[in-house]
Amino acid sequence: MTETFHPLVKRLLDGELSLGDLPPGLRGEGAEALRLLGAVDRTPVALSVQLEARVMAEVRRRARSPMRRIWRGLVEPRDIELRLRLRPWVVWGTALAAAAAVALLLTRPSPGPRGAGPARLAARDSVYVRFVLYAPTAKQVAVAGTFNQWDRNASPLVRVGGHHQYAFVVDGEQWVADPAAPGVDDGFGRRNSMVAVTARGARIL
Amino acid sequence: MGQREQATDGEVVRAVLAGDVEQYAVLVRRYRDRYARFAARMLGSLDAAEDAVQDAFVRAFDQLAQCREPAKFSGWLFLILRNRCFAERRRRTREGRALEATDEAIAGPDRPDGNVEQVEQAHALERALVDLTPEQREVFVLKHVEGLAYEEIAGMTGATVASLKMRMHRAYDRLRELLKEHS
Repeated sequence: MTETFHPLVKRLLDGELSLGDLPPGLRGEGAEALRLLGAVDRTPVALSVQLEARVMAEVRRRARSPMRRIWRGLVEPRDIELRLRLRPWVVWGTALAAAAAVALLLTRPSPGPRGAGPARLAARDSVYVRFVLYAPTAKQVAVAGTFNQWDRNASPLVRVGGHHQYAFVVDGEQWVADPAAPGVDDGFGRRNSMVAVTARGARIL
Repeated sequence: MGQREQATDGEVVRAVLAGDVEQYAVLVRRYRDRYARFAARMLGSLDAAEDAVQDAFVRAFDQLAQCREPAKFSGWLFLILRNRCFAERRRRTREGRALEATDEAIAGPDRPDGNVEQVEQAHALERALVDLTPEQREVFVLKHVEGLAYEEIAGMTGATVASLKMRMHRAYDRLRELLKEHS
């Protein structure tokens, strides 16, 4: 049968109690438990000095890969502009409801020089992408994603069409995947939503 | 352009995303040793830890556009490394190769502060840690090797303090059992 530590001894190990806080009958068990922790090796670990060189060699190789260039071509800012339009009466919460409605205006690429102003682009063909989140108790909702480098304060947006991952940010700190869109694992235990934005329209993925 | 050692994580991440790949070295230098001990204790081997840290940095570069909060790059990198350690553990289990705490750099046989008995206890504990579940091992390493509070561990891993405590308390019992078996 497994011999378990008394709950008070576990609190001792957690640092919530001292040995003197334990009833006399438990102090022997407490001392045994502390010997266990005393054997913990906390010496620093040194990795090879070559680690940085190896990582950077691999990073440079990947940065040059054709696939990455294609990806960067899709997501890098060009003379295309996405605009973030917030609807204040929806974004700012009330006692009843708060929701974010975000419209992304995607304009077609212009043959003109980089850095052209919004006025020149405004009349171009456009695609509106509207994100809505029902969040009754929220005071503020924003949308962040790969189209604005996950910057919840980015406005106007400066990324182009393509496949984008996004999530809502409620009250500046709580990240919420779009319940109206299928989620994708971001690889780190959290969920993002996906949207495909092209000059012809937008659809959730 | 030179590397900006004083730049914040957020500034460096944005520079890399904008195409200045060389700036990534700043992040590698900044965090390469921070999680080395964690990886070494999780995997039981310095070589395995080095591979895990290297892979984590490369994977973080690949996924950098998905880093929601560039200012919190270190926490995000930790999650990648943690997943890598768990995956390595699962892979070894699948292949029937248990983790082995045989690396002397991990087991610490030459600790200058230790007498023979202390060294033997450290070895025994390392061997016992290998037999914990990855989740139990993680919480034990973060709390008792890295010296973090439950609240800090919860912030890093996304688990609740209550579940972490439950995991840890099971780990205490399991360690006690394993140390008795080993002795």
